Amino acid sequence: MKKPEKLIENGKRLDGRVPDEMRPLKIEAGILERADGSAYVELGANKVLAAVYGPREMHPRHRQQPDTAVLRCRYNMAPFSVDERKRPGPDRRSVEISKVTREALESVLFLELYPRSVIDVFIEVLQADAGTRTAGINAASVALADAGVPMRDMVSSIAVGKIDDTIVLDLTKDEDQWGTTDMPIAMVPRKKLVTLLQMDGHFTKEEFGQALGLAFKACEQIYGIQRQALREKYAIKQEK
Amino acid sequence: MLYVQNRELVVPGQLIAEGGYNVREGAFREGKQVYASVVGLAELRGQDIRIIPLQGRYIPKPGDVVIGVVVDSYYSGWILDINSPYTGNLFVSDLLLRKVDLVREDISQYLSMGDVVVAKVKDVNERMRVQLEAGEPGMGRVKGGKLVEISPAKVPRVIGRKGSMLNTLQDVGECKLRVGQNGRIMIWGKNPRMINAVVEALLMIEREAHISGLTDRVHLMLEKIKSEGGE
Repeated sequence: MKKPEKLIENGKRLDGRVPDEMRPLKIEAGILERADGSAYVELGANKVLAAVYGPREMHPRHRQQPDTAVLRCRYNMAPFSVDERKRPGPDRRSVEISKVTREALESVLFLELYPRSVIDVFIEVLQADAGTRTAGINAASVALADAGVPMRDMVSSIAVGKIDDTIVLDLTKDEDQWGTTDMPIAMVPRKKLVTLLQMDGHFTKEEFGQALGLAFKACEQIYGIQRQALREKYAIKQEK
Repeated sequence: MLYVQNRELVVPGQLIAEGGYNVREGAFREGKQVYASVVGLAELRGQDIRIIPLQGRYIPKPGDVVIGVVVDSYYSGWILDINSPYTGNLFVSDLLLRKVDLVREDISQYLSMGDVVVAKVKDVNERMRVQLEAGEPGMGRVKGGKLVEISPAKVPRVIGRKGSMLNTLQDVGECKLRVGQNGRIMIWGKNPRMINAVVEALLMIEREAHISGLTDRVHLMLEKIKSEGGE
């Protein structure tokens, strides 16, 4: 695709959204049989699967912590998730995303309840269209709750950015590529704590404030959808 | 001030109550507010708030009866797999309830690898080292029977309100059951048909724990298999 002349025309973006509109988000909890907890997230064209195992015995034993559980995250992109085949296996980018994902989730978990154990989180990106790390965090958070891991709150995540000098919510791949700024954010909605904030590009102080405001509002929305996904899985059904 | 009904479904981070309640497992306090930390059913009993979890691994706590499998032995005891992130330790003296002279006595005659043991959690320390005991009547090495494993979070459903489900399984299924809090269940009975029927019933409970009218359905299913008879 060639760079379009304008990314925003008559107040509408390339896919017809207004600047502060999120892509349609779908979350489903507990869809994997073998994992302790799981979730599937679709954010626009992004398709992400998260699986949680544990708390379970930590191997290798020398990585056990005597007073707390350890959280391990692996973010991985499928070779077919992008236009050009991605070479399988961890690379610089996915190692970094695994690390920031772990840090985004760690603070809400009661890890101190399970000394010497490990909680494994696997995030598999099946189809990517910018914002996979945020979709991955949303999925992982639901999967952790689905696994019955005690947590202080859910973690909700979304990206904000700047295209054509306008602050927009939830960038697509084209907007990310041709836009000037991309800023993924993860937060703990109840206490309004930010657990992930990365930025590629520039914002002025005012723009940053505006972007953060957009992200906070969107996270509230995502939080609602995450809770709804869990309720749907666990609601007591009436006998047919 | 309560914000949820008794036995209402709650999700992590949900506000349950405000004020001086006693916070039990599945919930936590932040200032005056009490929040849920797991997906589960809020149980509000007087001043006590507890969340009955609907998922999760078995975490040992003192007093629980568990069913373990011997996976290793050492000089003075055995290591048991208790279907949990942590293994259990059973000393010979906690099995035989007497002083054992380890120099004279070979303890391998009492338990060996793969044996199934009914035990009670005696103590769990802050590092989650689990101490078991198995001296009480009805505990110790299991002879015969069938072992079934289900999700530990579904154990309360197998027992039912005031043991209703367990009674149905035992009476209609003509079996004797021993339920471990760690999701392992021993079944003994004379009729292999009914033993298999009870196994099916247990798996059904695990599958359909979230659908109402479960005890009646289990009753119906067992009666049906029983009436089809044979043997």
